[in-house]
Amino acid sequence: MALTKVYDAATVFKHLNGIINVYKPAGIKVKHVRNAILSNICKGLNELEQREPRRLPKSRLLLGTGTAADTVLHKIAKDTDLSDHILAAGPRYMPDDIRCAAVASLGRHTSGVLLLGLNNGLKQSSLIQRNRPVRVYHVTARMGTATENHLPDSHVTVRANNRHVTAERISGLASSMQASHQRKMYELCGVDLQTQAAYELACKGLLRPADNSQPVVYGIKLIHFERPHFTLELHTINESEQYMAALVHDMAIELRTVAHCSQLRCIRHAHFDVTDSLLRHGWHLPGIVRNMRQQRDVLEAHPQLLEQQRVDLHAAPQ
Amino acid sequence: MKMLILKMLHGVKTASVRLSRQYTSKAKRSVLLQDQKKVKNYEPKTSDAHTNRVYVWGFQETGALGLQTNVKKAKERYTEMVHHPTRLQFSNNNEITDVTAGYGFTVYAVKRSDGQTLFGSGLNTDSQLGFQVKGNKKDPANLDVIIYPTAIQLPREQGETDEDMQVRCMSAGRAHLVVVTQNGTVFTMGHNAYGQCGRSIIEDEVYTGSSLIHRIAQTDICGAEDEIVAVECGQDHTMLLTKLGRVYSCGWGADGQTGQGNYYSAGQLTLVGGDIEKERIVRIACASDCVLALNEHGDVFGWGNSEYGQLDDSPDAAPQICTPRALQLTKGIGKVKDVAAGGSFCMALNDQGLVYTWGYGILGFGPFVEQTSKPQHLLPPLFGRNDFSNATTVVSIGCGVFHMGAINSDGDLFMWGKNRFGHLGVGHKKDQFFPFKAAINGKVLKVAYGVDHTIALCRPHL
Repeated sequence: MALTKVYDAATVFKHLNGIINVYKPAGIKVKHVRNAILSNICKGLNELEQREPRRLPKSRLLLGTGTAADTVLHKIAKDTDLSDHILAAGPRYMPDDIRCAAVASLGRHTSGVLLLGLNNGLKQSSLIQRNRPVRVYHVTARMGTATENHLPDSHVTVRANNRHVTAERISGLASSMQASHQRKMYELCGVDLQTQAAYELACKGLLRPADNSQPVVYGIKLIHFERPHFTLELHTINESEQYMAALVHDMAIELRTVAHCSQLRCIRHAHFDVTDSLLRHGWHLPGIVRNMRQQRDVLEAHPQLLEQQRVDLHAAPQ
Repeated sequence: MKMLILKMLHGVKTASVRLSRQYTSKAKRSVLLQDQKKVKNYEPKTSDAHTNRVYVWGFQETGALGLQTNVKKAKERYTEMVHHPTRLQFSNNNEITDVTAGYGFTVYAVKRSDGQTLFGSGLNTDSQLGFQVKGNKKDPANLDVIIYPTAIQLPREQGETDEDMQVRCMSAGRAHLVVVTQNGTVFTMGHNAYGQCGRSIIEDEVYTGSSLIHRIAQTDICGAEDEIVAVECGQDHTMLLTKLGRVYSCGWGADGQTGQGNYYSAGQLTLVGGDIEKERIVRIACASDCVLALNEHGDVFGWGNSEYGQLDDSPDAAPQICTPRALQLTKGIGKVKDVAAGGSFCMALNDQGLVYTWGYGILGFGPFVEQTSKPQHLLPPLFGRNDFSNATTVVSIGCGVFHMGAINSDGDLFMWGKNRFGHLGVGHKKDQFFPFKAAINGKVLKVAYGVDHTIALCRPHL
């Protein structure tokens, strides 16, 4: 079947089911991103061809009381149900008509990949959520000042020199912290260390956590260093913005300086990459529909995103 | 007119202030208005003069950990064991270059300005830590237990400087200590009932409270053209390795561990022959009575106790081997880079970074595998190789009598085996059946595996 261009809002709405990959800007909440997306979808739908107002039923008992000369009533009888007209009932599509949920939330200061499930895509989004895929972050720290909540928008608590910090020192500490976090994973996957099962799991390498109560860091790597900033690449599960900021702070203390987290960017969530992410200027109906189609291809290429049986984990996200 | 303009300007100014206030939340305003001058400066000590730090864990009652400073407190029950790697205070104040662990005691090689080069703590029942007096010098009774590292005085000859007395290598056995200094002198102290100190055995010698430190010149052992590069002590014997790859041994030989071709104990350091006679040996390893040696081509040789088939797995193999022989067991595992021999098991590391274990005991293959006669390798994921650090390999291995350890290229220490008195440092007393990372804040350089305690020499991250 050849592709046909659709001008009809109802057809578009019917096919508006799936996952979209939105680039969340830093500084606004996920709730606001969601509202903006939904209102843009509605705006787009309302600009398309709308359905005609409903026809009134042929036999109307109500109209029996009017006189034969009542032209208004005659016109209504001939035409349509005016109460269903756009001018009377308001726009056909409202944000509340679309069901929408994020696969995993991002904090206010975090930018990057945000997966939203729309309408029937909610099923997929909850399946992905239950699989707890790895998210990859680029976290930039600014050495020299510590802040109250380890993020840039709070009071400065303390200052320190950072001339002695070098890239080798940071990456050395990062690899050591990575090994310690991987050790913690045994506790979180819930096996007794003295059993054969624990040995078999250990031979597989990395394990996923049994529940979403505790954050797990699988990889910490220094990818950029330019005093006073350094950037880490984190591979994590169950993390939160606050946890990563605290991690950066602890790292800085270990490096004999102080730091706060100046940027957080999620560059990958499972197989959903930041390069496919929909930027803010693309948050309109055609863009969202196109993005949804792209993400459907990703899901088809990696069916394990929805059904996951393995406990072991690999860097190529599941 | 002028007044009016001024008034207008004034009005604009107030308006702009009001405007900015409208667009700034109270929380943000308080951040913007913060007086940055009042922020305190954090100045941690960054340049630690003593680059290496030492972590210790295991059985503390012997004093081998050197963590306690109070004799009364050290005798209390709750201080018996240290379950987690703990930083040694002594290493903060001293530059430690080398560590070694005996059976219940520890010795540190130290660089100091006052000329002391050797410190020890732990059991001193046989004067293995030299002649030590109690806090009061007027009371010359020997301490059986030394709870904090104390200087061991090495007797000097005329004209020997502090530099000459720096430790080149050292090793400790059950109750004796052998130290080789920079000028090539071998010092031995402690128990000599089997001749492990390299001097003739004296009947009914009293070792407690003895101030005897035996001194052997390097030239008397291996001649002028060779020099000693390493020393390895088993339970009650001593082996010296030279630059030309020769091995000299003395001490207890009941299981053939001296490799002299007989089962006698000898107090005279003698060259070891057998299959290693023509080989250039680069490493010897021994924790109790089974010895492994490695030549420069990566071939493994062994002698001593083979009761568990560590050295020979053929059905009619002798349980003791008194002459060094090239091992057939390790032929298939490629070029060997490092070896270690424990009480009932052996380990080897090949050039691909794979760790092989064989023998009897907890070999690292889970709780069901107690014995293998052929060397089998542990999977690299157990030593921290995974998709996030895929270049990680094991760089060195070692073992005590009951436990094994491996250090990977990231400087992480992995340990497994019997958990006697918590000497695996995993936080509990249960045995560990596969390699598990020890929680150490630093890059591990060297580990001394004692019989019930472990010492790790580390480099800090910063």
